[in-house]
Formats: sequence, structure tokens, C-alpha cells
Amino acid sequence: MKIARRRIGFLAGVVITTLFIAIAALAIVWTPYDPAAIAIVHKLQPPSALHWLGTDQLGRDELSLLMAGAKASVGVAFLAVLIGAGCGIPLGLLAAARPRTIDELVMRGNDLLFAFPSLLLAILLTAVLGPGAWVAVVAIGVFNIPVLARVTRAAALRIWTLDYCLAARAAGKGAALISWEHVLPNILPILAVQLTIQFSLGIVAEAGLSYLGLGVQPPAPSWGHMLGDAQTLTAIAPSLAVIPGATIVCFVLGLNLLGGGLRARRAA
Amino acid sequence: MRAIAAANLRLLMSLLLASSSILPTTPAAADAPVAATAAPTATRDRVIVGLQLEPPTLDPTESPAAAISEVLYGSVYEGLVRFAPDGGAQASLAESWDVSPDGLTYLFRLRKGVRFSDGTPFDAETAKFTLDRVIAPGSINPQRTRLAALAAVDVVDDHTLRLRLARRSGGLLQSLAGSAFVMLSPSSIATDGQRPVGTGPFRFAAWRRGDSIELSRNPAYWGGAVQLAGLSFRFIADPTAAYAALMAGDIDLFSNYPAPESFAQFAHDSRFVVFVGPSEKETVLGLNHRRAPLANLLVRRAISLALDRRAIVDGAMFGLGTPIGSHFPPTNPAYVDLTGRYPHDVTAAKALLKKAGYPDGLSLILKLPPPAYARRSGEIVAAQLAQAGIRVTLQDLEWAQWLDEVFTRHDFDMSIVAHAEPLDYDIYGRDDYYFGYVSAEFKALLAALEQTADPGQRIPLLHAVQEKLADDAVNGFLFQLPWLCVWDARLQGQVLDGVLDIVDFSRAHFVPGTPPRGVAADPGALGDAGAGSGWVVDGAIACLLGVVGLVVLAGRRLGISYLGGRLLMLLLTLAFASLVVFTLVQIVPGDPAHFMLGLQADPQAVAILRHRLGLDTTVWQRYLDWIAGLAHGDFGTSYTYRIPVGALLVERLQVSVPLAAYALMLTIFAALPIGLAGAASRGRPGSALLSGLTQLGLAIPNFWLGLLLILVFAIDLRWIAAGGFPGWQSGLWAGLKALTLPAIALATPQAAVLARVLQGALVDSLHEDYIRTARAQGSGEWRILWRHALPNAAIPALTILGMQFSFLLAGGVIIENVFFLPGIGRLVFQAIAQRDLIVVQSVVMVLIFTVVAVTFCVDIAYALADPRIRARARGS
Repeated sequence: MKIARRRIGFLAGVVITTLFIAIAALAIVWTPYDPAAIAIVHKLQPPSALHWLGTDQLGRDELSLLMAGAKASVGVAFLAVLIGAGCGIPLGLLAAARPRTIDELVMRGNDLLFAFPSLLLAILLTAVLGPGAWVAVVAIGVFNIPVLARVTRAAALRIWTLDYCLAARAAGKGAALISWEHVLPNILPILAVQLTIQFSLGIVAEAGLSYLGLGVQPPAPSWGHMLGDAQTLTAIAPSLAVIPGATIVCFVLGLNLLGGGLRARRAA
Repeated sequence: MRAIAAANLRLLMSLLLASSSILPTTPAAADAPVAATAAPTATRDRVIVGLQLEPPTLDPTESPAAAISEVLYGSVYEGLVRFAPDGGAQASLAESWDVSPDGLTYLFRLRKGVRFSDGTPFDAETAKFTLDRVIAPGSINPQRTRLAALAAVDVVDDHTLRLRLARRSGGLLQSLAGSAFVMLSPSSIATDGQRPVGTGPFRFAAWRRGDSIELSRNPAYWGGAVQLAGLSFRFIADPTAAYAALMAGDIDLFSNYPAPESFAQFAHDSRFVVFVGPSEKETVLGLNHRRAPLANLLVRRAISLALDRRAIVDGAMFGLGTPIGSHFPPTNPAYVDLTGRYPHDVTAAKALLKKAGYPDGLSLILKLPPPAYARRSGEIVAAQLAQAGIRVTLQDLEWAQWLDEVFTRHDFDMSIVAHAEPLDYDIYGRDDYYFGYVSAEFKALLAALEQTADPGQRIPLLHAVQEKLADDAVNGFLFQLPWLCVWDARLQGQVLDGVLDIVDFSRAHFVPGTPPRGVAADPGALGDAGAGSGWVVDGAIACLLGVVGLVVLAGRRLGISYLGGRLLMLLLTLAFASLVVFTLVQIVPGDPAHFMLGLQADPQAVAILRHRLGLDTTVWQRYLDWIAGLAHGDFGTSYTYRIPVGALLVERLQVSVPLAAYALMLTIFAALPIGLAGAASRGRPGSALLSGLTQLGLAIPNFWLGLLLILVFAIDLRWIAAGGFPGWQSGLWAGLKALTLPAIALATPQAAVLARVLQGALVDSLHEDYIRTARAQGSGEWRILWRHALPNAAIPALTILGMQFSFLLAGGVIIENVFFLPGIGRLVFQAIAQRDLIVVQSVVMVLIFTVVAVTFCVDIAYALADPRIRARARGS
């Protein structure tokens, strides 16, 4: 019974995640309406056959906006995860492979990075560079680095204690080669789980930054920005505040189920 | 047993010590607000007014911008007469007047003992000076045609003025009430544009370009000093920002509120009063008759037919506003409804265009000034004209650009703007007005109107004026712009003048007990600073004591070397963070001094300011100065507010710290039972439900939850206000009520995380031997969980809690913006918008310091609580 329940969760996670990423990819080439098409005469319409999710305060099709917003969220979160993985994983491998001083250095550096929650970093960067999608990518990505480094290091340390690594070391193989050939492939499942988690955190972080006006800039649509616009309209059009948020919740839930399922499969 | 009890006790102690780093001590909190305020019953005496547009200059004789009057007419400047509520003239600086039977001579008796705010006396000489300027050849006064009949002004004696007219002028008295005829002093005339000097109840204090204008009470006003100590005007054109400012209490009154979509929300909120008034502002689609297609009557008629006024009012103004068919306000008794002259008929419009020689339609550019009504109407008008085959390109202009391109240089096809001057149909008689409409018949009508002041004769003439404008389809007449105002219900005594859409604050005051604003919100009220700040300092000292106690305990238990290592780590982290923050902030392009003083600033003033800001020293020097300042508690001086950042911080911390503490408490109180229940019910159906609950809690973004909570509790159920913070002076309960929804929004995702971690740790520890022993001894499941499993599971939970604090702080920044709380988060955002980098730099540093310090304390508490780490620490 328990196993079946976990399986359902995992499958649900896979389905939801694939659906969202597919929609985001589709939105690059096609949406039901042009998300930028303003038509104030059609503003604030309820869902209908023409507009499946209704229209917003400027008459833009809500469904098209959501799809285009998926593009922004997935794009930013993905690039941020890339940054985190690209810098964090090598750092973690290095820390696990090398003698104590380098390990200490990397870990202290990690602690330093932890002092900057992504929002604070985004605020600083915005003050300097002005708001934009790239600022969001960097801010979220930089905060991914210490997390991935820490997880990589913990997992790699465990592999390093195994016999074949010690044997390779005794045979004279370099630490870098060992990391690449033996350690990395064995820690990939753990990393996959963590990357999924960081991706889902990135989605929420991007939405938060866009809500504050610090992320993806209008007129490019983003879920967070839609929520920001909807705030003055909550009295007359509450659905505008509910729908983008519910979309975020669905996506993140799917990602969390996926991550949880991956972790369970690995443990099983 | 005793060992376990001792372990629990130690755990409890370390929890308390760790949490005391975050919570201020209650006794200090309860006492200090009363002790710290010098005048416990101090009432707010400065009004902050929100306006959409900033005046380009402060001299109304230089520019036609209505914003000048909104700020200065009646407050700083006064004329001989002023508008009565019915549009007629009533006494102001002139006490009374006589008109000769032939209507060609007016004698004014002026008020005695009136002075300008710079000390110059007001008398007939200054009045003559003012009026002579208006009628002099080469005068640039925007309303000079209103006084075209004035031939000469004579000084009879010090307080008597005679006006001699070249011909009768029926509307002379009303004209003299106009905003461009206010009395000015010769001594200040050259600088009135930047530092206005007038006779009114307020005097000019400061103009922060792009931001605000400050006025202060004139104690020597002839009408007696007013109750308000000062007026401040803030310029906010963006509808969302205007809404946020009102909700947050940053603004007391908004005149010409730009977001009609949220109007209904204020109407239902008992904290606010809303006002929808008629105005004399005709919103018009201005057509440039100098351009070829628009010179053609048929084309203009086609444009009028293509417009659907009702749709424009519904779309741009959310139904607030009355469609008009000509250039005349519907509230005037002489109004005639000509909206039916060109009903919405696209087919007829296309036919007319074809007849005019444009069968394939034409292309026109529509230039729009900043106000929201113009931008939104422009979108709709473009869509409607497109249906008739007229392709419209929209161009958004800033106000200064609009005045230059459209109003002065007449470089436009179409434009939308509301004409604010009352009874300004005479603009259609001016060849050089921006429409470029020239009509001899119209001018004849105007001349006839000038001849008579008798209503029986004026009204038919006014009808004829309106019909002529409609017949010639001179412009697309859209709607009368309603005057939307929203204000704080505690502000009373203000008079709304519907003729000029100006609020008269001379008898305005706040309900006694309205708390004064803090310095961050109202820098003009520097004297109010320090109210209620006592407990923040007390709380900070208490936290410091708690941390010192923790450190001492740690030193004794864990050994000096371990402690020393952690402290060193702390200092290194702070040093690195400060470097990063400083570097990021210093590489910003642009010169802060130039930004503060404005583009036309005098180079010498810029140099002096750069020296004061320390910008002429080397980067390293600046960094070291900053660090030294931080160590002393000197966080620098804010660029925009010109007050110490420390004062700003103390004020804002009064909201952010209680919010974080409240959220932390909620997190623990929610996560504990859920985690315990999850562990107790594992393997049973209940655990699936709990697991689903926590999964959901994890997935919900905290700011969206905040929006939902506002939707349900504030808007639907009306239990709580939809944002804003009343201030701790209004009472502990009122403050906590305002922080409840934000704390719930902040706490929910954190509680979900903590519950899952706690549950996992509990389940893990349930496999241990001592648990099996306890079960064998007959202990119940809950007892086992509480006494045995929990102390061990609490350790990883504590680590997570410490990490969560940094998320709480960061999350607090977003939540403060959702609920419009005057905390550190909003401070940072306002500072970014104003490019006040000193504030950003110092506040971010404070936030990072708090995060790092809390992590340090949690690490210590963790080490104290876990005997294994303690042993390792002592051993190493």
C-alpha cells in the first residue's frame, strides 16, 4: 500500500512536470492569442469559449499569458540551476577530494554565500544594474551554488570511503580523474533529487522577484508580475489573483512530488 | 530519568537563549512607547497629499500646467478674488469692489496688513505690478486672453485699485479668480518658478524634484494661522503605486486618484473616505487642424462617429465619468447634451472617410501624456478608430515632452488630454492654440458673449457655442473627467473645490489621537522622530545580553578554541559580505550628487555635496569610513531624506522584528503538533493526509498566500484591513492584528518545512534502542514521542529553524510589500526606486548581519544541546 502511494506520487510528479515544461516549450512558438495584444474593450471577461481562462484588466488572454509566463519561469529557474550545478558540483567534488585545508576553504566560502539570501542579492543587483530577467538568474543561481556544493560534498565524501576509490588512489590515479570517473556517476541520483528541488525553489524565487518588479520585466509576461498587477483588482476580479498563483502551486507541487519520488526510488 | 530531564532542561535553555536573540523583552515593550513619547497625545499635524503630475515650474504665470494650481493655488498664492462654489467670484485679497454702470471701470478695495511670505507688503502697487505683467505686450501669461479687455490699471491709493477696460467684459470677475492672475511680489518675481512667494496660509519650504514639494504653515497669514503645521505633495502617476501608497498610509489624501479600478475597494473600507465629484475637466481627443486629413470636416466627423464614448468611459475609467458631446461641463446650467450628434456608427464613419477621399483609411499618430486616464483612453480610441479604417500609432510622452511637442510646437496629429480650466471654451477662438482651429463664426460668438453679463442673453449664446463646436467636429469630445479623491477618514475639515479641483486645507486637521508619522514616511516632521523607539533600543540591548550569555556558556562548555573558531568565522563572513555589498553599490553608474540636486544644478553646489557625501575620497577610504561608521552605529545619511539612516532603521525595525518573531512563533506552534502527529500516525491513513498538507504548504508561495488571505479576510469577510500598519502607539492589540495575516503568510511554508524535518527526525529516532526499552517499560506512544524522541529530533529541527530565520527575513521583505507594512523591506524598495544607495547599502548590511548572527547563535545552541558535538569540540 505504501509503495503504491509513493508510486502514484512519483507518477503524478512526472506527469505534471512534463506537462508544464512542454507548455513552456510550446509557448515559444505558439499561444492561443498574442500575450501582448491589448484590447481594453474585452477587459476582465470571465472564462468563455473564446478565452478559456478569461481576460485580464487590459483584455489580454489569461491562458496565453500563463503559457508565456511558464516560458519565463522555466527559463530563469533552469538557467539558475545550471549556474548552481556548473559551479557548485565541481566545488563540492573538489572539497571532497582534496585535503582538509581546501575542504575548509570551500566550506567557509559556502557559508559566506549562504549569508546572502537570493532576494537580498537580487535587491542589490537591481539597485546597481536595474531590474531584469538576467539579474534574477544570477541572484537565484548564486544562491544555488552553496546548496549544491554542500550536497555534492556530502555525497562524494561517502563514495570516497568505498574500496574501489581507495584502490584507485593507491594505484596512483589522480583525484580529479577519480572524481570524474568514479565519484560523479555514483552521486548523480542524489544530485538529480537536489537539482529538482533547486528548480522548484527557483520557480518560486523567480515569481517572488517578478512580483516585486525585480525579475522579468513587462511587457514580457511572468506569473509573479501578473500577481502584482492583480493586487489592485482583487475587489473586482479576484480570479486574476488566484489563477497565476494556483499555476505556480501546481508546478511546484509536481516538481516536489518528482523529487520525492526520485529519492524514494533511489532508497528502494 | 534525571539525565533525560537534564537534557531536556539544557535543550529548553538553549532554545530560550537562541530565541531571545530574536524576541525583544516584553516588559520593555509594554512600558517604553508611553515613556519615550514626550507628548503622549501628540496628533498628526502634517498632511501628505498625493498627486499624479509634478508641476514643471512653480510660477503659474509661466506655464498652463494645472498641477501648479493643485499645489499652490490658495495655499501659497492668492488672487484679488477666488472662485465661489457656484463658479462665481468671492473676496480674497480684495475685500470688496464696485463696477461702474457702463461696465468699463472696476474699483477694488484691497485688504490691509497683508504681507508676502518674504516680508514684502501687499498693496495696490504690487497688485498693479502683477496685472501690468499680464497685459504687457510680449506677456507669456497662459491666460492673458481672459484679460484682453483690460486697458490699464491705476493705483488710487495704497489699498485701492482701479481697472479700466477697453470694452465690456462679462466674465472679468471670474477671470480674475483664475490661477494665472495670483498676486506676485516684484521682489521675488525672478525666482517664483523655483521658490514661490505668496500671501497664502502656507509658505514654500522645499522642492525635491521628481519626488515632493513641502509647504509649511505661514504664522503671519492675514486670515489667521491654520491648524496644519505643513503640507507635503508627493507625485505618483502609476495607478498601482498610488493604491499602495494609500493602503500603506504613506499618503493622507489623493487628489485625482489614478486607479478607478480600486475605487470600489476604498469605498468599502471604513478607514477611507471616497469622493467622486464632477469637474470642469473636459477630456478631449485633440485634433491638429494644421495637418491635411484633419483639416477636412468630413474626416473629423468620421472620427467622431467612430468613437464609442460609453465604451471609453467603461474601459478607461471603470464607469466613472460622463460622456460629453462638446467642450462644456455637464454640471454647468448652460450645458446642452450633444452626445447624440455623432452616435457610435462605424459604417457611417467609413462612408464619410470614403467621401472625403480616403477609401483605404489613413494613418495617424496619437500622442499621450502620462496620466492614466489618457493612456488607457488612448488604447481604446486607437482600437475604435482602427475599426473605421484609421490606423493609429500610440506614442507615450512625459509631461514636459507633451508640453513641448504637442502644446508648444504643435507637432502631433491627435492627442488626448483633460482641459482643466473652467469655462475655457474660449481656447477655440485662439488661432495659436494647439488645435489650430480657426473660425470667424466662433469668434463672433465669443465677442457677443463678452458684451453681456446677463444670464438671459448668455445662455443662448453658450448653447450656440457648444453647437458650433459639435457641428464642426472640432475635436473628439470624450468625457468629463470625474474628480476622484480618496482620503484617510481621520483627516477632516478639508474643502473640495469643484471648480478648480483643488483641495482647500486651510481648515483641515486630523482627528485628535491620530498618530504622527515617523521620519521615514514624513521627513518634514523631523521633530516627531524618537516616538516609540525606546523599546527597540531596549530590545536590542536585551538581545545583546542574551547573545553574550550564550557565548559565555558556550565558552565554558565547548572550550575557547571552538568558540574562537566560530567567532572568527563570524567576523570573516561579515567582512566579506560588507566588501561585496560595498563593491556592488559603488559600481553603479551616475553621480549621486547630480542625481540629488537635479540636472540643472550649479557645478559648485554639486562639488560641495560630493565633498559632504565623501565622494571625492578614494574608494578604500570610503569603505573604511563606512565600516568605522557601522561599528559606531553611524549608518550614514540618506540621500533622499537627508536624515541619518540609523533613525530610519530604528523606526522600520519596530515593524520587521515583531513580524519575524510572530512568524517564528506561529511556525513552531504549527510545525510541532503536525510533526508529532505525522510521526505518531505513520503507516495509517492519517499520515497521508498530513503528508499532503505539508506538501501543499511547501508549494505555496508566501506572497500568493498573503494575497489570498487579503482576498478572503479583508475583502470578502472584512474582518481585517487589507494592509497597512496603524503604529504601535495605537495599541499592542491593533498592531498585532495588522501583523497577523502577514505572519500567517510568512509562517505557512516554513511550518511545512519544519514539520517535515521534525517528522523525519522523529521517525528516525523511533528506531533507536532506548525507544524500544521505553515501550517495553509500558510508556504510551505520545509519552515516548514527547519525552524521548523529541529531544533528539529537536536537534536537526533547530538547525533548520536557524536557516529558516534567514528565509523569514528575506520573505519578510516580500510580505511587507504585499501588506504595505512600513518595515525594512519597504524601506529597501523605496530606497531603490529613489536610488538612495546609502540606505540600500546599510540596510542590506544590517539584514546580513542579523542572518549571520542568528546562524552563529543557532550553531552555538546546537553544539550546546548535542552532547556528541560538545565532546568533539572539547576533544579537538
